[in-house]
Amino acid sequence: MSSSMKGMTPRTHDNALQGPLGWGLLVIAAVVMVVSLGFGLYQLTTTGHTSFNTSSNLPWGQPIATYLYFALASSGLGLIASLPLVFGFKQYYPVAKRCIFLAFIVLISGMLVLALELGHVFRMLWAIPLNLQVQSAMFWMGVFYALDLLFLLWKFSKLQGGEWDSRTAKQVGIASFIGVLLASGNLALIFGMMSMRPFWFDALLPIYFYFTGVTSGMAALVFFTYLAHGFQRDRMNPALQALLTGAMPKLFAALIGGTLLFITVRAITGLYSNHPEINLVWTDYLFASPLYNAALLLGLLLPFVVMLSASLRNRMDVQVLVACLVFLGLFAERFYFVVGGQVVPLFKGTWEPGLLSYTPSATEWALTLFGWSLCFVLYLLGEKFLTLGDMPRQIAEAPAAGTQAGTA
Amino acid sequence: MAKWGMVIDLDKCTGCQACTTACSMENNTLPGESWQDVLFYNAGEYPSAQMKWLPRPCMQCENPSCVHVCPTRATYKDPDAGGIVFVDWNKCIGCKYCMIACPYGVRFYSDEKPLIEPDIRDAYPGENGQLWSPPYQNPEEDWRRGIGIQPKGVVSKCTFCYHKVKHAPEGIADLDEDNPEVKEYVPACVRTCAPKARYFGDLDNPESQVNRLIGDKHGVRLKDHTGNKPQVYYLGAGAGVPAFTPADRENDA
Repeated sequence: MSSSMKGMTPRTHDNALQGPLGWGLLVIAAVVMVVSLGFGLYQLTTTGHTSFNTSSNLPWGQPIATYLYFALASSGLGLIASLPLVFGFKQYYPVAKRCIFLAFIVLISGMLVLALELGHVFRMLWAIPLNLQVQSAMFWMGVFYALDLLFLLWKFSKLQGGEWDSRTAKQVGIASFIGVLLASGNLALIFGMMSMRPFWFDALLPIYFYFTGVTSGMAALVFFTYLAHGFQRDRMNPALQALLTGAMPKLFAALIGGTLLFITVRAITGLYSNHPEINLVWTDYLFASPLYNAALLLGLLLPFVVMLSASLRNRMDVQVLVACLVFLGLFAERFYFVVGGQVVPLFKGTWEPGLLSYTPSATEWALTLFGWSLCFVLYLLGEKFLTLGDMPRQIAEAPAAGTQAGTA
Repeated sequence: MAKWGMVIDLDKCTGCQACTTACSMENNTLPGESWQDVLFYNAGEYPSAQMKWLPRPCMQCENPSCVHVCPTRATYKDPDAGGIVFVDWNKCIGCKYCMIACPYGVRFYSDEKPLIEPDIRDAYPGENGQLWSPPYQNPEEDWRRGIGIQPKGVVSKCTFCYHKVKHAPEGIADLDEDNPEVKEYVPACVRTCAPKARYFGDLDNPESQVNRLIGDKHGVRLKDHTGNKPQVYYLGAGAGVPAFTPADRENDA
């Protein structure tokens, strides 16, 4: 099997982004990227981090939430890619290469946003490796995400070379899968091990991050897959069509449902607890915020209800809408998770008599916008030059009915 | 080597905040960057309402969570400097994880919006890498220990006035401002305390006054459940922190 697939010509169907549409979108995304980065850099070089609305009382704001969103979406995409590449769910082959590519560029975008948030980004490059503070989860975050990035790149180069099932490709795939688990699990522990921040303190936070990460990864995958084909299913390979009307929407629905379950149990625990640093976050911050409630209801509950219907969940327009809603809903989740852990003032007495308030500044929004637009730019370049729709010939040429057999 | 510790007697403390002012002048901190602060708390309600207060320096914890989380070892506990927790401004990358991990909220990232206008950093723009450069400065700058005026993009904190304490004679049990021989080595907040509510000495020396006070007057450490084991002890009634209640909900409590 391994050698038989190696060297076979990869197959792609019509990619809408390789034509004028791709160039048009690329120009728009590049303009947004340049403007947002330019504005952000101008603010950072002239006024520094005073242009952020964070403070010593609430040090982590939207740029951290953006990084968290991107890092976990990347991990989610990596985990989805492992379905065919590690666990043998062959019906997912049509999205595997796009998944790996998206995981790579989304992580790059997240890392760059984080870099602009730090006080001394270039110092980080030598200070972390040379000081080997193995007690710090943030040290391991650097190690694991660097490995994750490396394995994603390696895996992508294998797929780009048409090596789908060679021994090395399998081994790199497994290494990448483990790298993703370690990176995102450790990222969860950066928050989950902070017993002095009870809203975050949770030994099972890695599971919550895996689950929500895969959900946001799935939302990105669905959206970008349709975008690549100009939102027209008939341009897609039958195997991809079968996936998008079979296993994938079912998995997407289950993931949104699981995410809602996680949020519900966290909310119930928080509301039940007498601990003000948990309880007040839910009552006076999260559920008191119309935006949080809207994100929860429109960004997760509504998509879940819609995706429960077998006829609706297989429709392209519904899937794209759900992907966009979940995309935004989970971004809000990340934001409220990061900020929620800090809104109860910590040891400040009456200097801070109420919950801390935080609204991102224009510079912080610029960094978020830069992350998103960079993602789009890299993605569009990838679609243009890297044939992200590749899949093994057996899958590409198999009858659609055959590939539909079995579900994830 | 000594293990420097502080004892604060809340039955004597008047909440005058002279310690906060002295610290700010000694260490050239910005408004709001209160390495030493006095926290005020309202607890209970009429007819048993209380107003409590407690001075809050860095606790220089024996088991400091800020040190564990720092990815570059910029934050470190120096056993050769009396167990004081320092920030090496040459290594700090400004990730602010230590500020998240400190249960006592004693760390500051001064590259933030000014607490009051006009911004004093604009009045005295930074020179030689400093965030701001006022005309009077502590001459004993030591960026490796976070002493002096910090550069941009790093975290700052109380150093127990190590630039003074380090000159203390070897083996001394207490640094008492009433002792003319050592008064110059006493941390600014201790030296300025008018009601003499603060004591500073060697927690490893059985003869020290700080040890006697902790033993005889039931010294407690704040938020001891965190396991951080502060080297700052409190005496007297009021050595506890009420649970957080938003000001507009105090009557619901």
